[in-house]
Amino acid sequence: MLPFFTWMGDSALGTGVRDSIWIYAFDQAAHLVALAVFAGAVLVVDLRMIGSGFKSRPMAQVARDAQPWLIWSLIALALTGIPQLFSNSIKEYYSDWFWYKMYALAAALIFTFTIRRSVAFADEARAKPSLAKVVGLVSIALWLSVAVLARLIGLLS
Amino acid sequence: MPALRSLFEWVDTFPSSVFLRESVVWFPALLTVHVIGMCLFAGLIIMMDLRLLGVGNTRTPFSVVQRRLFPWQLVGMVLSASTGLILIYSQPMRYYSNIFFWVKAFMMMLAGINAMAFHYSTYHSVARWDADSKMPFGAKMAAVFSLALWAFVIMSGRLIAYNWFNPV
Repeated sequence: MLPFFTWMGDSALGTGVRDSIWIYAFDQAAHLVALAVFAGAVLVVDLRMIGSGFKSRPMAQVARDAQPWLIWSLIALALTGIPQLFSNSIKEYYSDWFWYKMYALAAALIFTFTIRRSVAFADEARAKPSLAKVVGLVSIALWLSVAVLARLIGLLS
Repeated sequence: MPALRSLFEWVDTFPSSVFLRESVVWFPALLTVHVIGMCLFAGLIIMMDLRLLGVGNTRTPFSVVQRRLFPWQLVGMVLSASTGLILIYSQPMRYYSNIFFWVKAFMMMLAGINAMAFHYSTYHSVARWDADSKMPFGAKMAAVFSLALWAFVIMSGRLIAYNWFNPV
């Protein structure tokens, strides 16, 4: 993996972002705005799943409404996250927190687009509310861990 | 503002402020909880604004969005406001001399005024447009201002980490 991380750091994107403190700083700021949108899109569905939030509305409707915001903010997070990784690649490579975040992110993404997705869009008349509750809580826990670990990369490594 | 400066300088001398400032655990812990609180607060404010703009969560009536998200927005606000105040308390002079801190505070004040203005004007007629996805002009304006202001708050908050314009 190290050669790949070295390549990222030496690439035009890596050096360009690293050499401009302005680009790097505004990229971090934009990443955080994208995070807020993403958190909102995840939470409206998770809160509905745990029996709070829009509990009077059908779950699949709430999920369908949130879907485009979930996808687009995720794309914005990736587009603003990748330049940070390229510009800081060697530091990230040697940071435990970076790898913990990537494992948590992989788990959260897989969970969101498989189990959570199928439960959110399931026919509610036949689905068990207790299952939705567990899925909502797991989703919150997974994304919470991603956000916490991400913040700790910058603070502790 | 000499009075404000002396207040910040005074807090700076408190033993509890010095303690928080010198601890290696408190700053990262407070900042992390601040970001989590922000996700809850700003994330759900944004979801409400998207509904108000008529571009998101449109299958749920606005009054339901507003009423059902409010308690969670409050939890997020308490988390981020309390950790934010402790952060200021722990390093008052760092924030006092940082332009982004004051920009952030000003934008938060504007966001508050905007929310209040909406609440006491357009919101009165909510029964007429509650379930619509084509929203009245006043609602859309409130949503656009809120989205822009909170994005500014988040961005200037992040930029406090950079002391580009600090007086030397």
